[in-house]
Amino acid sequence: MSTRRPGLFEPRAIGQMAPATKILLYTILIVWAAFVLFPIYWLLITSVKTPAAVNQGPFFLPFIDFEPSLHAWKELFVIDYEDTLRAYMNSIIISLSATALSVLVGSMAAYALSRVDYAPNLITILYFVALLAGVGVAVGIYDVDWMLATAVAVALFFLLARAVGRIYEVRLGNGDILFWIISQRILAPIVVVVPIYMMFQSVRLLDTHLAIILTYAVVNLPIVVWLMYDFFNSIPRDLEESAQIDGATMIGTFREIILPLSRAGLAATTLLVMILSWNEYLLALFLSTTKAQTMPILVAAMNAGERGVLWWTMSVTIVVMIIPVVVLAVILQKYITKGLLVGAVKG
Amino acid sequence: MLKKLMTGSALALATALTPTVGSADGHYDGVVINILTRPGPVIAGRIAERGEEFKEMTGAEVRVAEVPFSELFQKILTDWATGTNSIDVGVFASGWGVELVSGDLVANLDPFIEADDKIDLQDIAPYFRDFNQKVQGSTYFITLDGDFQMLYYRTDVLEEAGLEPPKTWEEYLEVAAAIHGKDMNGDGEADFGSCIFKKRNAQSYFAVQSMAASRVQTKGTSEGLYFDPETMKPKINNAAWKKAFEIYKATGEYGPPEELNHDIGDTRALAIGGRCGLMIDWGDIGPLSIEEGSQIRDKVGAVIMPGSTEALDVETGELKACDADLCPHAVDGINYAPFAAFGGWTAAISATVDDQKKQAAYDFLSYMNQAAQSNVDVTLGWTGYNPYRNSQLESTAAWVEAGFSEEAAENYLGAIKESLNHPNMASDFRIPGAQQYTGVVLDRELARYLADEITVEEALENIEEGWEEITEDFGREEQAEIYALSLGITN
Amino acid sequence: MNEWLDRHMGRLFLAPAVTLILIFSIFPLVASLILAFSRLRLRGGGFTMRWVGFRNFEKQLFGSEQFHLLGTFTTVSILGWIVGLAGTGLLIWWMVRYARTRFHWVGFLGRMITFGIAVGLLWLFCATLLSGNPFGTVGTTLFYVFVGCGIQFLIGTALAFACSQKLRGRTTFRVIFFVPMMVTPIGVGYTFRMLADVTKGPFAGVWQWAGLGDFAWATDPWAARIFITVADSWQWIPFVFIMMLAAFESVPRDLVEAGDLDGASPWQSFREITWPHVMPIAATVMLIRAIEAFKIVDLPNIMTSGGPGIATESVSLQAYYAWRSLDLGQASAVAYILLFVTVVICVSFFNLVVLSRVRAQK
Repeated sequence: MSTRRPGLFEPRAIGQMAPATKILLYTILIVWAAFVLFPIYWLLITSVKTPAAVNQGPFFLPFIDFEPSLHAWKELFVIDYEDTLRAYMNSIIISLSATALSVLVGSMAAYALSRVDYAPNLITILYFVALLAGVGVAVGIYDVDWMLATAVAVALFFLLARAVGRIYEVRLGNGDILFWIISQRILAPIVVVVPIYMMFQSVRLLDTHLAIILTYAVVNLPIVVWLMYDFFNSIPRDLEESAQIDGATMIGTFREIILPLSRAGLAATTLLVMILSWNEYLLALFLSTTKAQTMPILVAAMNAGERGVLWWTMSVTIVVMIIPVVVLAVILQKYITKGLLVGAVKG
Repeated sequence: MLKKLMTGSALALATALTPTVGSADGHYDGVVINILTRPGPVIAGRIAERGEEFKEMTGAEVRVAEVPFSELFQKILTDWATGTNSIDVGVFASGWGVELVSGDLVANLDPFIEADDKIDLQDIAPYFRDFNQKVQGSTYFITLDGDFQMLYYRTDVLEEAGLEPPKTWEEYLEVAAAIHGKDMNGDGEADFGSCIFKKRNAQSYFAVQSMAASRVQTKGTSEGLYFDPETMKPKINNAAWKKAFEIYKATGEYGPPEELNHDIGDTRALAIGGRCGLMIDWGDIGPLSIEEGSQIRDKVGAVIMPGSTEALDVETGELKACDADLCPHAVDGINYAPFAAFGGWTAAISATVDDQKKQAAYDFLSYMNQAAQSNVDVTLGWTGYNPYRNSQLESTAAWVEAGFSEEAAENYLGAIKESLNHPNMASDFRIPGAQQYTGVVLDRELARYLADEITVEEALENIEEGWEEITEDFGREEQAEIYALSLGITN
Repeated sequence: MNEWLDRHMGRLFLAPAVTLILIFSIFPLVASLILAFSRLRLRGGGFTMRWVGFRNFEKQLFGSEQFHLLGTFTTVSILGWIVGLAGTGLLIWWMVRYARTRFHWVGFLGRMITFGIAVGLLWLFCATLLSGNPFGTVGTTLFYVFVGCGIQFLIGTALAFACSQKLRGRTTFRVIFFVPMMVTPIGVGYTFRMLADVTKGPFAGVWQWAGLGDFAWATDPWAARIFITVADSWQWIPFVFIMMLAAFESVPRDLVEAGDLDGASPWQSFREITWPHVMPIAATVMLIRAIEAFKIVDLPNIMTSGGPGIATESVSLQAYYAWRSLDLGQASAVAYILLFVTVVICVSFFNLVVLSRVRAQK
């Protein structure tokens, strides 16, 4: 008992937190949780309000200051269940497939960029891009058959690529490729909507899942590449090097060593990409008419224009849109923790 | 999104429908008509229901697709122009359609109408028959809904204050001032003298045109609100529009505090909650006032949009007191010009669909438009359809059946009748680029004026400049020609 | 075969991503660039296009849309002159210093472009905000980007750090904090419109009680902008949070604990060990967030429709409205101006801030 009792802001033991710090942290976390949850709570109770209860509000507590009613839920899931469930299924199929595609392709590219040094020739790239743009313009604007245009372009590329490449030697590095990839997200989607629409129209893929899946996968690819690049970079290289000495191929190393080690990053990235595709509106609107309509379009549709917003049904659609993502987040949360444990064991 | 809000009306509907359904002959078996419109139940809901009946009668299947209102027109235009053709019939504002017609995207309906003995064109109110459905003299659109704005007032509030419904915009402001701050729904809170939506990129540009119309247009529909038809010089930078802008802003004094961010949905919610003394709106307030939860059942009256005792002298750009020369249609020295805002929901058939489908689509639209069907539909608030046929106004029976009191129905129909057949009805923009002229330039400058960013003079100057630019872009001569035709001027 | 595969594995790993991006970006980019220089009208069987040269850009930068994109220019106030001249001086000094120490023409060219944009934005700031003139969509967008992202980064990082500590119940907090990201952006817009309603929203009572009954946030330019930033932050702080959390979690725990044993204060160990480790991810997170923020469109569109006046309209929203009124040429021109500004700012941030920090660490 001779030792002095530690002060409020001093930890009791190494690796532990002082009680006052703890209280402060909890207060911050709880206040923030309230700020985060209140809008969700408001959505939930609005979804069980009658139009009159919304318009004469504010009312806060169901059963106490207003009588809850399931009319909005009924409208969506009993009377109109076909439309709602179709949109719901579409959203699930599209965002899962797009996420899978995007994460797979993106993390492969990110891994390659973090481990292999590339030095593409700028002139060859410009030549390639010019050909590609030519194909696009020929098909999109001048209605040339796309098979023909592609064949001509491929032939031209392989015939002349080396010759063109020798004109002037300027080489790019990995950083340039990386920045080029992320820069794909900079252009506002509004201006590319019409060209993308025309592209899919020319291959007759409008109003199909495939069109939206492909578009979403590409749109989210830059994010996957960037995030995964950072995560892969933070993994020490000695493991792979020893594996490679043992004769493992790049695919083998990637699958057996890198992916398990970057689980936390993969989980976070998957979640993010999933959410971005789940919530996207403008591209989905244009690439679908009826068969492939997704949930966000349903949400927007609840603004009945001159009839005002149907707050009650809109709240229902927003709430039901949150549910699957919460489930996914809880599942992936485990992986994030597991990934950490692996790191701890290894460390 | 369909089949909502039908409680109460379903029964009336069923009885009204059965006699009109002919024997099922199935001559359109296998034909599918894809219709694109805004999300229901408003507009779309009724199309789907009538589609079911039509299928029983003819075998043709009607599929209704819905996209959010703000993207509807873009979607139809892209679909038709790029040859995607997943949509056979578009339902939208007829004013937008002129752009489609000028791009050869819409089927000319003249031959179908000639062969149709059920549509009874003479029953359709003249504005909708001769202006709204037509472009350059041919019919391209079928009206499903008649749109123009009217003034609504709370009968009980005005009576209590001993006031008459306003006949001019000056009176409107006086009445609004007199009743502002009274409790109008018995909840103990002060309510508002006037509710007029003022949100940007919503409907505010319709309201200001309603206010300007009676000062700008005096000589009948063919005079037009916007341009000198010869030169396409905008008729906007003048005392009449200036006054309209000022009145519009002044009504905000007696409105809810966040009126600048209110679109028509917010305003209607307030109105139905009994918080507004005066409001301007399309025909919908009438049917909405009798819906469940409404606080203003049988307490709301309608009159023709207020007019003006002075009008624009085109020569000088100044306002002049009305006389027989200047305002030939004036009543008691007041010139009225009810504004056909938006023009109403109308249907158009894509030019590229094959003949059988075209005929089937036309038959369906005609079916919806015929008095037997539409006279029921317009009495139901949830359909979003407003009257456009004279027979819809002849008897109050259908309206009383829908839930109006005899008195309220008479009042409501009286106001509609007066507006609908008015020789000086003002036509909405019906030339290519309509959305850019009003929805973008006029709307934005109006919003900046309301937000005190600029003065009214600056706003009008900017609009004039902006309109001239759009006209140049589209080609002055073409625009002048289409504008003249849209007003029925043929020379 | 296997040997060939192995030799080209590097390329094969990269190829699918690059191919997909090329297919989906080059044609739309070229097509919209062509649009930006023309007038397009959709009509039967396709469209008609008229080449108009720089007219779309001219209209935006110098013509009748100048007030809309850039702002209204009248006179520059004394404060505006002082700040403008001082800032320009600083930027010139920076350029001169670079040119004198290590000159390379690529670096110089890049810095010249950065310099040009920086001077332009500086004077835009001085001539509008500091001189009491209303600014246009570029100013509004920069407000959303710098103020919004700044707040989101600070709060998000702080929360992530707190949640990376050993606290009971932190898993629950993590999931809760992540919820706003799951709400579709359109939904966020409508939800906050509901919450902010001063007559029937949940805070109506508080509002009246505070004597603000007649003040509506939506009618005051700054209140509206700030409110949109609040909604935007509500939605995006979780993004910063989850990324920074993953970053904090990847900091080797033994390093931190070793620091603790050595008697380092929490602040010291954060600054010396944790922060350097998470810095690269933090930079990436900021960059991604900023890129998304430049494109903000749903929230102002739904919450205020760009009003009052043009106070809350972003560049992207301006392009959207032009596009909606079928003015595809103006829409593309505006979007390309935004693209240019965004690329320059992001590249500068990346090269001058991130890379130099990374270099300094190595």
